[in-house]
Amino acid sequence: MNRRAFLNWGTAGLVALCAGVGVSLGAVLRFLVPSVFYEPPQSLKIGNPADFPFGAPTFLADEKIYVFRDRDKGFAVASAVCTHLGCTVGYLQSDQRFHCPCHGSVFGANGAVQHGPAPRALNWFEVTLTRDGQLRVDKDKVVPSNYRLMV
Amino acid sequence: MMNLIREFWQSIVRRDPLSTDKGKSELVFFNVWLHVHPAKVKKQNLRFKHTFYLGFITFFLFVILLTTGIALMCYYRPYPPQAYQDMKDLQFVVFMGPFLRAMHRWAAHGMVICVFLHMCRVFYTGSYKKPRQFNWVIGVFLLLLTLSLSFTGYLLPWDQLAYWAITVGTNIGSYAPIVGGQLRELLLGGHSVGEAALLRFYVLHVAVLPTLIILLTIVHFWRVRKDGGLSRPVWKLKPSKTETLVTIGSPLEIAPLKTGPASKDKTYGLMEVVTGKPIFETVTPEEEEDAVFSYPYAFFREAIALMVTVTGIMAISLFFHAPLEELANPAKTPNPAKAPWYFLGLQELVSHSALLGGVVAPALMVIVLLAIPYYDRNSSRRPSDRKWALWLFSIFVVANLILIVVGTFFRGPGWALIPPWVHVVAGAE
Repeated sequence: MNRRAFLNWGTAGLVALCAGVGVSLGAVLRFLVPSVFYEPPQSLKIGNPADFPFGAPTFLADEKIYVFRDRDKGFAVASAVCTHLGCTVGYLQSDQRFHCPCHGSVFGANGAVQHGPAPRALNWFEVTLTRDGQLRVDKDKVVPSNYRLMV
Repeated sequence: MMNLIREFWQSIVRRDPLSTDKGKSELVFFNVWLHVHPAKVKKQNLRFKHTFYLGFITFFLFVILLTTGIALMCYYRPYPPQAYQDMKDLQFVVFMGPFLRAMHRWAAHGMVICVFLHMCRVFYTGSYKKPRQFNWVIGVFLLLLTLSLSFTGYLLPWDQLAYWAITVGTNIGSYAPIVGGQLRELLLGGHSVGEAALLRFYVLHVAVLPTLIILLTIVHFWRVRKDGGLSRPVWKLKPSKTETLVTIGSPLEIAPLKTGPASKDKTYGLMEVVTGKPIFETVTPEEEEDAVFSYPYAFFREAIALMVTVTGIMAISLFFHAPLEELANPAKTPNPAKAPWYFLGLQELVSHSALLGGVVAPALMVIVLLAIPYYDRNSSRRPSDRKWALWLFSIFVVANLILIVVGTFFRGPGWALIPPWVHVVAGAE
């Protein structure tokens, strides 16, 4: 084997080795990403509009959302997940603000940050009416805080 | 018959009798478990006030963690909510369950403390300096692995404390630029802390991280030995004199490959077996007279340290049980929700800014720690020559302590600044 052939074959071998290792690493990484998430659905029915009272929002613990119902403006759904580090915020009717227990972030009634380390306002989710007359919340669809569903 | 027994014994133990110097050397040298020790050690290095035996204590705590951890695995299923039920079983049903769990818990806390103190000792005695730079780097990785083991273990009880500490902790990671979010999903195996996360943390905690820490520990010990054993106590350092450099291990006509402190000094060890001159610290003849055989002097002290460590952890575990709160409830965040104490400094930083405090500051801290032996160009180990280094490191240590103390004792509901002597009525909201 002469020098040229050695270098050619050597380079090809090296490239093949790198490609093999790269593909294997990629496969391992892909293996670690679940193909199916056994998690609660992002889009869900939360019940009939009549189930929700006017005034103070209803907290749905499992879904981590607050359902607001206003006599004039209709329905709005706010996320209860703090935008800082994911703790569940609590809504205080007395001062009409959201308080995060982890690092003291405070959000106004419209979800905007008023105090603390939270980087963004709370999310508001799209809420629609299904054919059977139930409210459906889609957590994948973030809407502006003035979004309302009239029923 | 006696001959057979003797032959059997001698097939296991091939050394000379321990009454002879050769026997004492061979005890170390012919034994796979002991041969990480030198046959002889400097008397001064055995002094408690030189190292406080912190490295040994850390290692012994790790051994306690391995044994109690394997025991606990027999009664633990890593999926919710069985995981929590198993904790209840360990607490009320399993024989010695609370004791073993407490030992595991307190040894884990102890290991975090001892690893940190060990790092401080190594810094203050300047023992990370040439030729020991790389072992410091390995040490920093061992510190990170210790913290990772603590963090992954923290989720396993699946109680409120565990659930929210991990929720907060992994969300901190998601602030890392570009890959942060994906990294968190990869770690959790999902979008929030759930069954997939518990299983992954379990795998990391009982398989991946212990393997890594054992491998690195082996390298760490090996390097201690290859870098010349323990560094000389600071008080034994001679006033600095100009060091002449000599070439070691390379033929005369070739450019020097490795240089080391020179000299007429001798190295010790089993010279009949080990050829060539090691690169490490050498000893003067009078110091060599100061050296003693590892057996029994070093082994005796190690055994004492082992017994004190084990007895200490057992004693603490008799009186203080590991905490267990109510079942993890994703809907209800406890107020205040706090990370494990050694991460409370981090949480304190994060309460001011998640990106700066949660990602930039800790990343910088790790990078600075890793680089210490390479940008500290001062070769002297004597405290009077390294005032700046000592001051800077002390500030680093004190700043960390202050952050942890503030996060632990001065933060109340809503992370409000409340001194520990003020009583807050729980659920006042």
